[in-house]
Amino acid sequence: MDDLRAINNDVESNATKISAKNVQVYYGDTHAIKDVNVEIKEHTVTAFIGPSGCGKSTFLRSINRMNDTIDICRVEGDIRIDGQDIYDRNIDPVQLRARVGMVFQKPNPFPKSIYDNIAYGPKIHGLAKTKADMDEIVEKSLRRGAIWNEVKDRLHAPGTGLSGGQQQRLCIARAIATEPDVLLMDEPCSALDPIATSQVEELIDQLRESYTVVIVTHSMQQAARVSQKTAFFHLGSLVEYGTTDDIFTNPKDSRTESYISGRIG
Amino acid sequence: MTTLAFAILLAACMVAYALNRRAATGIRDGGQRLHSVSGYHGLFALLMILVPVLVVILLWLVLQGTVVNTLVMSSLPDGTLDGLGKGQVDLILAEIQSIAGGRIFGEPEPWKIVAADRFTGLLQAASLGLVLVTVLLSLAIMLFARGKVSADFRARQGVEKIISGLMIFCSVVAVFTTVGIVASLAFETVKFLKLVPLTEFLFGTSWEPQIPIRADQVAAEGAFGWLPVIVGTIVITIVAIVIAIPIGLLSAIYLNEFAPKVVRSVCKPILEVLAGVPTVVYGFFAILVVAPAIRSLGAAWGIDVAPNTALAAGGVMGIMLVPFISSFADDALSAVPGSLRDGALALGATRAETVMNVLFPAAIPGIVGGVLLAVSRAIGETMIVVMAAGLMANLTLNPLESVTTVTVQIVTLLIGDTSFDNPKTLAAFALGMMLFIVTLIINIFALRIVRKYREAYD
Ligand SMILES: Nc1ncnc2c1ncn2[C@@H]1O[C@H](COP(=O)(O)OP(=O)(O)OP(=O)(O)O)[C@@H](O)[C@H]1O
Ligand SMILES: [Mg+2]
Repeated sequence: MDDLRAINNDVESNATKISAKNVQVYYGDTHAIKDVNVEIKEHTVTAFIGPSGCGKSTFLRSINRMNDTIDICRVEGDIRIDGQDIYDRNIDPVQLRARVGMVFQKPNPFPKSIYDNIAYGPKIHGLAKTKADMDEIVEKSLRRGAIWNEVKDRLHAPGTGLSGGQQQRLCIARAIATEPDVLLMDEPCSALDPIATSQVEELIDQLRESYTVVIVTHSMQQAARVSQKTAFFHLGSLVEYGTTDDIFTNPKDSRTESYISGRIG
Repeated sequence: MTTLAFAILLAACMVAYALNRRAATGIRDGGQRLHSVSGYHGLFALLMILVPVLVVILLWLVLQGTVVNTLVMSSLPDGTLDGLGKGQVDLILAEIQSIAGGRIFGEPEPWKIVAADRFTGLLQAASLGLVLVTVLLSLAIMLFARGKVSADFRARQGVEKIISGLMIFCSVVAVFTTVGIVASLAFETVKFLKLVPLTEFLFGTSWEPQIPIRADQVAAEGAFGWLPVIVGTIVITIVAIVIAIPIGLLSAIYLNEFAPKVVRSVCKPILEVLAGVPTVVYGFFAILVVAPAIRSLGAAWGIDVAPNTALAAGGVMGIMLVPFISSFADDALSAVPGSLRDGALALGATRAETVMNVLFPAAIPGIVGGVLLAVSRAIGETMIVVMAAGLMANLTLNPLESVTTVTVQIVTLLIGDTSFDNPKTLAAFALGMMLFIVTLIINIFALRIVRKYREAYD
């Protein structure tokens, strides 16, 4: 097991999936993200850490253009996924979001059945031709969301009737169902108990095989457990970015060090 | 005198409040810990006086008239009222009252003047009694409440009990008013059904509520089949709803989900103004603009259109209902948590897909509420129909003909001097009863829809 992790953890050779250059984000006059440059590797879990209000969510939301839905929000700079500028005029944000899935801090299942929650994405993107295809997608996604065994007997019960942890895994399964390349997770475990948290963390580790995962977290332990690379944000700037091991054992910036040792935040 | 009674009550309340509060504060300052803060002790005394004394005063005022009248009438010289009908007795009482009020016509018999004096005296005694009772009762309760003040006394709970009692009383009043209205409707309806058989009323296809004015008149017997009237109501309501629902819902969705802030801030108030336009004005609009327009359109296509049409009335009513539906739908859509919207958008749904598949189903219960309100208003609306749809009871489903509605017929039946014992007038109550039943059924039906969705979603 240790060996396996050691091999997997060596992600420096992986290709770059997302590259951000000189990214600025403004909410009206508030300068929320200041000149961020970062290269996020493929098949890697990258953790964003930093004190509350430092802009982690804002930066995450600019990767799938969810900031477009906020009227006063303005994004400048260059963000590329697979080398393609996602703020290009020809890019349809709707298509982009199908490729870049997102899981939110609070579980937000639709007020529909469990089945329909998962099937919704594939349906609007036409991923299933027949009912059998759809059944397969639903089962596969629920299995990957590590929730299949708990819900397989009540697929047509409302998704809102699940427990908080189950709802969060349902939302992860829902994001996976549209077959994205990138999965963005904004504090996915903040509403969960330790058991559900470890289930979700395990899941994130498995997801890395097929996806590029970016996770925002307030828990250092969680960042250390699930991620291979870590980015530390402070007051809207990216202070330090490196392998998780380096950031936690050998931080170069004094602010990173103070945050990790609990002195700012 | 009545004013004086109320003034005394008010003063007693304030004094009792101050007394108890002061007493409680005194105990606290003496070093003991109060169960309830001193304000509650004051409030307890206030409510203890206010509620019972107010009830006594109101009961007194309601009953005093009847009691005084009975006393006066029973004190008349023996034999005065012998062999007189109720109407004549009432007439005598009225005369006595007007003499007492100083309005004397002609030369009243001496016994009437005596009775009038007696009447005045009794009234004065009654109001004096009222003041006296108010003072005594207030004082008694004040002393009682003052005696209650102690460190352990649970004034908070006492206040809470009195207040919840008040709330129960208010809901009972609401329920009994409803029951009373329904009962009076039912009472008159039964009288009507004694004159006109139920089958004829329910299944008759002709509505001609004329009756002979004099017994020897050879007028046609009236016909009281309600079908043409209710069908008219249904046709107009359907026309109104068919127009109001799409416009109302789509405008709500647009304003809520798509419109830029500026548009929203301009359009919402305009829609609300629409809700404030009096229905008479909609009526003008229907006769002066919509009806002629429909007529000339019909003429252009070679369709024969009546001058008063269900379409004109229903159409204008639909416009009137737009703000109802849109404001309900707007509230319901805004109440859907933003996280659901984000969730759908993050899956790559377009805005329209998000609205249709996620927000709209979640908002259905609220939207149904708005639609329901709109339907009830359409059924109950009278003015527009009187002005634009006509009074003729045609049994037709064609919205291009003139129809009439239940409410309009009720109005026309009750206009003018009519006694309350002929089928024409009683028919109005029967129609009212049916209208009540129909709206009740619609309400129950809609509640079930709402509940079904609630169960499925929460
Ligand atoms: N919709 C918005 N409108 C205006 N300002 C916003 C909005 N969202 C975020 N901000 C501001 O942008 C800054 C960064 O916010 P962001 O939500 O990205 O912080 P965060 O790092 O995710 O914090 P947390 O850890 O508490 O979630 C904050 O100062 C915040 O006040
Ligand atoms: Mg955040």
